[in-house]
Amino acid sequence: MTADLVTVLLQFQPESPELKQRRDYDQAARSFVSQLSNISASHWSKGADTPQDVLAVLNPSVNSIAYAFALRHRITALADKRSIPDTLKPGGATWNKLVLFLETFDPVQMRYAGQEWRKLVDYVEQIARATGSPGLAIAPIRSAMTRLDSTTGTFTSTHLSFVQLCMETRSYAAAEPILDNYIHSLPSKIPAAVREGLEYSVPCADVASSGEYIHQGSGHSDKITLADVQEYYLLGAMAFLGLRQFKKAQQLLEHVLIAPSNNVANGLMLEAYKKWVLTSCLVGANDRTIPRTANAAAVKNVKAASKAYEALAEAYTQLGNLPKLKAQIRAGAEIWAEDGNDGLVSEVLESQMRSYVSRLSRTYSAIPVSNIANILSGSPEEVTQYLDTLIKDGYLNARIEQNDKANTGAVLRFYLDPTNGPLAKSEKQQQQALFEQTLRTNILAEQVKNADYRLTLTKEYMDNLRRQNKKQGAGGDAMDMAWDDGLDAEEDLMTDLH
Amino acid sequence: MASSVEQSPFFQQKRAKGDIVVTDPPKFDLDSYIGNYTAGSTRIDRLHHIGSHSPFLAVDAYRLAISEAKKGKNVGLYTALVEVFSGIAPNDPAALMDTTWAEKKTRDTSHEQDRLEHELKSYKNNLIKESIRMGNEDLGHFYYDTGDYSSAAKAYMKMREHCTSSKHLADMNLRLVYVSITQKSWMGVQTNLAKVEAAQLKGDDKSKLEPIVSSCSGLAQMSLGNFREAAKYFINTSPAYLTTDPSANITWQKDVISPNDIAVYGGLCALASMDRSDLQNKVLGSNEFRNFLELEPHIRRAINLFCNSKYSACLEVLESYRTDYYLDVYLFPVLNTVYSRIRSTSIVQYFIPFSCVTLDEMASKFPVSGFRIEDELEEMINSGTLDARIDLVDRLLISPPTNPHHDVHTDALAMADKYDHTLRLRLARLNMLAAGVEIKQDKGAGEKMSSAMGDGIGASLRGLGSKMGFT
Repeated sequence: MTADLVTVLLQFQPESPELKQRRDYDQAARSFVSQLSNISASHWSKGADTPQDVLAVLNPSVNSIAYAFALRHRITALADKRSIPDTLKPGGATWNKLVLFLETFDPVQMRYAGQEWRKLVDYVEQIARATGSPGLAIAPIRSAMTRLDSTTGTFTSTHLSFVQLCMETRSYAAAEPILDNYIHSLPSKIPAAVREGLEYSVPCADVASSGEYIHQGSGHSDKITLADVQEYYLLGAMAFLGLRQFKKAQQLLEHVLIAPSNNVANGLMLEAYKKWVLTSCLVGANDRTIPRTANAAAVKNVKAASKAYEALAEAYTQLGNLPKLKAQIRAGAEIWAEDGNDGLVSEVLESQMRSYVSRLSRTYSAIPVSNIANILSGSPEEVTQYLDTLIKDGYLNARIEQNDKANTGAVLRFYLDPTNGPLAKSEKQQQQALFEQTLRTNILAEQVKNADYRLTLTKEYMDNLRRQNKKQGAGGDAMDMAWDDGLDAEEDLMTDLH
Repeated sequence: MASSVEQSPFFQQKRAKGDIVVTDPPKFDLDSYIGNYTAGSTRIDRLHHIGSHSPFLAVDAYRLAISEAKKGKNVGLYTALVEVFSGIAPNDPAALMDTTWAEKKTRDTSHEQDRLEHELKSYKNNLIKESIRMGNEDLGHFYYDTGDYSSAAKAYMKMREHCTSSKHLADMNLRLVYVSITQKSWMGVQTNLAKVEAAQLKGDDKSKLEPIVSSCSGLAQMSLGNFREAAKYFINTSPAYLTTDPSANITWQKDVISPNDIAVYGGLCALASMDRSDLQNKVLGSNEFRNFLELEPHIRRAINLFCNSKYSACLEVLESYRTDYYLDVYLFPVLNTVYSRIRSTSIVQYFIPFSCVTLDEMASKFPVSGFRIEDELEEMINSGTLDARIDLVDRLLISPPTNPHHDVHTDALAMADKYDHTLRLRLARLNMLAAGVEIKQDKGAGEKMSSAMGDGIGASLRGLGSKMGFT
């Protein structure tokens, strides 16, 4: 029987010549998955811990579908017994197999076994949590995500649990690779009518977007709600705050604010707005403008509920009046503490001093440190120290030099030419940056087109289309036109960048 | 005499309030200056302004103003003038209130008002448009003379529906302009001027009104602080203004602003808002404005000096006339702004050819009183008027090197980044829309639950926030 199982499991050979054609591969993979899910649990557990063990026979990177099924059944069987056996604990044999699998599986095969993939990822998290070291799950989950979808741009429930895990364990840096990849699609439901029309769109094809094989029917993700997406962005922003990457944090917070809304806001938006106001100060943005796409009424609501933060930001902009910000911070101490933003607020205070100093570079080419010390009310030695750290941290394009004139002491001298000094960028670097940006933008434009297309596939639209078709008889025109419109709009947006 | 006026309670109060009191004797002669203006209201207004700001001329000015006021019907103005004057020179015969005159005049005016209103009523009963228009006009004139300007404006407004020709309409609007100028409500002046321009006049009528409209527009813009616009209007005022006939029974060059005023206002506004080449081409080179400039040679000299880069000499000339301009009723509120603008433009223009100037050199070229040159420069740099950096160590003003290549690249990168981000936001929103998710209003029973959930979110975030522990 064990042998039988192994034969069955080895039936599907992705490298075999019959499966060169994508359509054949697709069919074979589909039937293989449905065949495997019909095998009862007892069959899987046979021959465990013997040399004939399927997990030993199968190669996780070649027979990924079969391996995933086997592994899942094995773990379900083991985990049934109340406590976690040693073999499942981090370092144990099965745990190692699980980790190995998540790091080496064949991404194309896993497109078909979405449910197994998700369950395995869930197990990693559950086990790690149960053994009291949730941090151990981060790396395997991350590699599982990136292997399945190298852009990690299709939102899944795993995204959210991953970020939650990272926040709980305070491993912000570990979350960064995932957070840096923006979400370009949400798992969608592609209507059957459309699916049939797309001849080459099988999951195993070399598709442009991972949204085409991770969708609501593929099993890779739980059902996604808006709150899930918003929470992901909010937690992601906080991770960036933890890494002191304020610009990125601000951008993620804006993602929370633009959520479509029926003129109301939710708690996540409120939290995001409060943090956004503070982060905008840290970024040094002069104008705090909410993205235009945000719902105006909702923004008004959250604004009304965060007056204290607005006042703080107002005080921040008055660089000539340093004590005012301090007074504001003192006055609102309870609010900040209650919202869990006191760390951020003290960061804002520090940043005001910084932006005061960096604004000096717009007025002076050289200024004695003692002058700055007078304004900041500190001793020249302290201020010199402070300026030195600012220069080292890359906030100032300047240097401190000792002056031989009497009574001047140390001098802060700014580099006037942007191509000089420690922060200078050469033309080549800039060109490189521009080039990379062009590439990124092109990819992004493609994804926007895809999203636009998906929008045309919504239920409302399909209903509308059907009605129109009925009216006009045979008329595929409506849809074609919509597609063209979308294209044009996109082209307009991008022309400036080419 | 002058010293006793200066120590009078009126001026002491003014000083205590921090108002400007011009102590230096002005360059002009009061009689010939005020001779430029014929109509009562502007004469009294100007004399009142001079009297209340210059102790040197106060007595003469108030005497003239009071005798002028006695000729008119404005009792309120008369008593106000006498009251002020008694605070300056209590022993002067003119400072004694002529109560018999005042009472008689009050009686007369109320009679006249009754008569005019009665007449208007009868016109209205007869339904003759022209008569109603004239009745309203008379009433407007009457209110204007008695100093009730808002009623005057109302009466003039009522003329509108009874105007039968575009000429009438234009006259009415000009009257309204006149009232607004007297009230110094400059926004009103602008709207009424726009109406004058909108009235479709043809040929001669139009060319006759043009200089009036442009000079009044200039005045309004200047008083609102838009010096560049004001300069444009003044400079484009045609010299026909010098000789133009009265319109709407107002001799504009004698009743509102004299050609000399146009030269001064226009010149100062141009200096405050234009650079050297513009001044050369548009002001000195303008055939039309030349006629006005000839009336005020020192303004032309100042502009010439500015164009020849002799900024300190130019400022000196202007400084010597500061007293005179303080005593001009329209220039007074904006003069400090105009002068400081001229000063900063001079500094900017002076600095253009240099890459580096010592601060002491700057201070000698642009003498300062009461503050340090570096503070002034710092303010100018911070406000963006001057593109330079200060070196406090070697006491230099440095022009920053420019690197267009680098700037363009940096701008492009920043813009691309912004585009990128906007696109991502749109994408995220598009996806959410496509997924059909939306924040909806909670209904009834759901409310409690969701607020509890909100608390939950808040609490967990709080925990995370405090754990992050910024140091």
